[in-house]
Amino acid sequence: MFEYVLSVMIFLPILAGLVMLFPLVSKGGARIAGFIVTIVILILGIELFLGFSGTGGMEYVEQCNWIESLGISYSLGIDGISLLVLFTCTVLFPIIFVVFSTRTKGYYANLLIAQGAMIGAICATDIVLFYIFWEIMLLPIFFMIGLYGGEKRLPATIKITIYTIAGSLLMLAALIYVGVSHHSQFGEWSFNIVDLSRLDLSGGFAVLAFIMFMLAFAIKIPLFPFHTWLPDAYTEAPTSTTFVLSAIMAKIGVYAVIRFVIPVFEIEFTRFALLLSFSGVIGMMYCGLAAIAQKDIKRMLAFSSASHMGIIALGIFCMNVQALTGSLFQIVAHATSTGILFLFVGLIEERMKTRKIEDLGGIAYRAPIFATFFAIAMLASVGLPGTSGFIGEFLIILGAVKFNIVIGVLAGTTLVIGVCYMLWMFQRVFFETANERTEKFQDLSLLETLTFLPVILLIIFMGIYPQPFINKIEPAAQQQVAKFYSMDQTQIADTIVPTPGLKNQKN
Amino acid sequence: MIQDYLILSIILFCIGILGVVSRRNVLIIFMSIELMLNAANLAFIAFSRLHLSMDGHVLAMMVMAVAAAEAALALAVVILLHKHKGKLDSNVFSLLKG
Amino acid sequence: MEHSVSYLGLIPLFPLIGAVVLGVMHIDTCTRRKLPEKLYGVLACIGPVISFIYALVVFFQLKSMPADSRFLIHDAFTWFSVGDLHITMGFLADPLSSLMLLFVTFIGSLIHIYSVGYMAGDENFGKFFSYMNLFLGSMLILVLGSGPVVMFVGWEGVGLCSYLLISFYSKDTDNVLAGNKAFIVNRIGDLGFVLGMAFLFWAIGSGGFDYLSLRENAHQLAPGIGLTICLLLFVGACGKSAQIPLFVWLPDAMAGPTPVSALIHAATMVTAGVYMVARFSFIYAEVPLAGSIVAWTGILTALLAAIFAMFQRDIKKILAYSTVSQLGYMFAGVGVAAYSAGIFHVFTHAFFKALLFLGAGAVIYALHHEQDIWKMGGLKEKMPKTYWTMLIGALALAGCPPFAGFFSKDEILFSALATGHTGIWIIGVTVAGMTAYYSFRMIFLVFHGTPRNKESFNHAEDAPGVMTIPLIILAVGALFAGFLNLPALFGGNLNVSHWLAPSLADHHPHVGISVELLAVAASVIAFAIGITVSYRKFGQGADEPEYSGFTEFCYNKFYIDELYHAVLVRPYKAVGSVIWKFFEPNVTDIHVKIATWLYQKAGTAFKVFQVGYVRVYAIYMVIGLSIMSLLLSQSLN
Repeated sequence: MFEYVLSVMIFLPILAGLVMLFPLVSKGGARIAGFIVTIVILILGIELFLGFSGTGGMEYVEQCNWIESLGISYSLGIDGISLLVLFTCTVLFPIIFVVFSTRTKGYYANLLIAQGAMIGAICATDIVLFYIFWEIMLLPIFFMIGLYGGEKRLPATIKITIYTIAGSLLMLAALIYVGVSHHSQFGEWSFNIVDLSRLDLSGGFAVLAFIMFMLAFAIKIPLFPFHTWLPDAYTEAPTSTTFVLSAIMAKIGVYAVIRFVIPVFEIEFTRFALLLSFSGVIGMMYCGLAAIAQKDIKRMLAFSSASHMGIIALGIFCMNVQALTGSLFQIVAHATSTGILFLFVGLIEERMKTRKIEDLGGIAYRAPIFATFFAIAMLASVGLPGTSGFIGEFLIILGAVKFNIVIGVLAGTTLVIGVCYMLWMFQRVFFETANERTEKFQDLSLLETLTFLPVILLIIFMGIYPQPFINKIEPAAQQQVAKFYSMDQTQIADTIVPTPGLKNQKN
Repeated sequence: MIQDYLILSIILFCIGILGVVSRRNVLIIFMSIELMLNAANLAFIAFSRLHLSMDGHVLAMMVMAVAAAEAALALAVVILLHKHKGKLDSNVFSLLKG
Repeated sequence: MEHSVSYLGLIPLFPLIGAVVLGVMHIDTCTRRKLPEKLYGVLACIGPVISFIYALVVFFQLKSMPADSRFLIHDAFTWFSVGDLHITMGFLADPLSSLMLLFVTFIGSLIHIYSVGYMAGDENFGKFFSYMNLFLGSMLILVLGSGPVVMFVGWEGVGLCSYLLISFYSKDTDNVLAGNKAFIVNRIGDLGFVLGMAFLFWAIGSGGFDYLSLRENAHQLAPGIGLTICLLLFVGACGKSAQIPLFVWLPDAMAGPTPVSALIHAATMVTAGVYMVARFSFIYAEVPLAGSIVAWTGILTALLAAIFAMFQRDIKKILAYSTVSQLGYMFAGVGVAAYSAGIFHVFTHAFFKALLFLGAGAVIYALHHEQDIWKMGGLKEKMPKTYWTMLIGALALAGCPPFAGFFSKDEILFSALATGHTGIWIIGVTVAGMTAYYSFRMIFLVFHGTPRNKESFNHAEDAPGVMTIPLIILAVGALFAGFLNLPALFGGNLNVSHWLAPSLADHHPHVGISVELLAVAASVIAFAIGITVSYRKFGQGADEPEYSGFTEFCYNKFYIDELYHAVLVRPYKAVGSVIWKFFEPNVTDIHVKIATWLYQKAGTAFKVFQVGYVRVYAIYMVIGLSIMSLLLSQSLN
């Protein structure tokens, strides 16, 4: 029964979401049904996480032919790279259903469909199947921002949609190129990533296809300078959508680079790694600096999120096992810290009817539980040791120093930049004197406390005892990185290999 | 032998096109479309005869059925258009202008 | 393994558990009902006291071992392990960390007890002790960590607690700003620490990333990379221990409650930088240049801070600058490879500086939060216990023989002279004189002469026993701690240095007794001059001076804060707004702008074809179809 678990996890929420759209279902019913579905997914996800053996290969594989003439198959599977992304996606959804009650049922339906599509995109090992889920994923986001967003939601919706569609179409073209190359090299059609990774691509078209793939993912991550949709979309979207966007969807962009780009385009990736990592680091600094100029707490967090995504993306461009593992770990850490912060901001907005930093103040005195939770999530987000944020950030910086000293030093500045805007915001929102608005701030109710507590505990647990997580991802990361070192040296000879930092012979 | 039929069919089709393109009365345009359909039908029958197969007949019947359905719809549309603007001049209806 | 014990990890755990329990209790009750302060007080003191008992156990166990293999290890669990990087959540007790452990837990316990009195009646009583326990736990992790990464956990943890406690009275914006400043400046230092660790790892870390393994592999270090590592780590130490150029946060940190200043910003946390340099002494010993840079930075900081301290009027600011100055001495000590001397000064300084701060706290408490020394005076009669204990503290700080500070400071200055750092020695002696001057300026103005503010003077009295007993204990420590490390000149045998020797890469130059005598004589003369000048100016009561010209310049700390504000903070914020207001819409978004512009232009261009008449579209269709069929027939032929 458990062998179809991935399919169940994909289609259960999608079907539930579609059923919810029928007029018979009431709003409260939709919320409860959604909660139950996400809890089922959560239980399956935890079960799957515990049962995962972490040998480096694909597990929970499902495979059946779909469009045989083109070699497209319905193939799913989980390995160390996708495991934590999937884990994040299953863990965080139930919270939304508990915390936010004022949404219409269409919203809940969209949330569920988004979850199903995201799980699909994470589990797909066939690149066409991945593409389909990738596109489906955008639809509910489109509706959620466009229908339920803030005042300037329409421009934001159009911006994110056109941006991502443009990227996706480029990816589609590149994907066809890859499929055709496979056909011409091996004489048969296949879009399975295992087959595609055997491809030997080189020349101008390969570079072009690589750039097209990277553009699609760079937009989703978002990598500097393709992040400009992010502040608008994150700010205008309803908070729980922002949460989904930042905690999960952005991570799927990072994940897709590791899963689909690196195996197929090793040479091109090596050639562009330095440029890409600069893009990551500059994005981190740029967004971190922009964050300090924000007056809207949600927009500030949006920039903070973009800043952290720069660091996470940097981790995969450094091509060593520490940085890659750090990135994969940081995916969860960032989702549980910055993601949760977005939800907290949603709570502030719901209670105070404002998101302006200057209108707030003194919340800590009225709401000690809320302030404590917020502070823990914030400290995880700035990478304090003892919280989950430190492990990932430390590993990424460590790897970046090996990759290139300049990049490493610049990446280190995230320690300082993050603290600047976070403390500044925390001071104005939680400390200082309360005004008549914040005087009435309600602390978290028992239900809310119990909902957030597991995540807060997870943040601390992952900071103190991260090894169970790392054990599961490290073998896969190790394999991924080993490819770079097994590459024929003459292949890279004419490419611009990044100037090695403190490079030993092997990692 | 077959050429004659095809030439007739082409002539009919061209007349139809000319009618659609040059006439402004919606009814005439509609009649021209019917003419084009029949031109296609003629070609089907001719090829059917040539290949001694019934496929062409089947398609011709199909086209006639479609044409009948279309006529019903199109006439309804024409009546509505008349109700709306009081004219059947196709130049009045230029909502698609960019 | 005989060195493996299973209780080291418990030492930081007790205060941490205390922090969680107190925190939960406080959060649970603060908005509704109040729990009795006694309950909090007792709970708060349990953790530190148990840790102190364990520290004694550790000390005696180490003492029973042979001197060359004195260390205990407790590997609790694998923290994280990726590739060659294996980080164990491990704890190491060797002579160095056991010394730190002893005084941190001892002074920590005393200050916890003192705080029960000092904080009485505060609405956030529980929160305060939760933070204090958290601090002590972090500090113990810092001290006991078996490798740099575990040390970094405590390192950042104490930084966090420092931030939380500085901004403890968070309703006042200035306090929070001071907290932010401390955290951010510390973070700049931490950046150096993290990068230093990264470089260290890639250089020699693959054989194990804990002190014992690193020490074995230290000889493989190339000199260039060794220097880089040393300097990066020293940046971290500068941040935590308030050295040039990162010293600016410490004086502001006095915004926190006084016990916090005593525990965190005088006795323990700020000395972590010195501890770290001593911990890495095996690397610093390989790179003498790095040591010289450390020593010079330290002694210049000592000089600068001493100048500032001479002109301050806030009693806590005086003590804060004096702390910065003494920290400078410690760095001078570890910089000239006299690690044990530096650490010994950390040890003695912890006693007398904690004593002075707690005494100052008692004064402030008695005068209802008056901190300006020009508004005090004559308190000697009203607060005799505080006076005598603080006098001992000041004598120790000023380096009067035979108080604790004299021996430790003298050891540093002697080492500087003996290793040929004559410049450092001269500055050091000068600073010793200045130290005597400003510490007695404070004593004279606060306790001697006539009261300047009659009303608050009349209400002043010695603090309750819970506060004065720790003062007396610390005073005993300040009196006698120096004897633990008596040099041969005074008939001792450098007990502490010998105890520390296995952990440190000490360098003992052999010089004649005349040099040693010269060093001692110079220190004593400097002290005498300092105290005489101070007595002449302030001994009989003095009038409040006008600040002008040079004194104003010094009082305002050479305007360094303002300079940093103008050169760093403002531009940082400006860059932020420029990015947001200008770059984001006009430069970064340019590709989107171009794409939409092209779309619009293309749209207008193609609009011509959209005439709106269906028949025209039909023509397009016919043309298109014709072309397609033509092409098709061509390709078929």
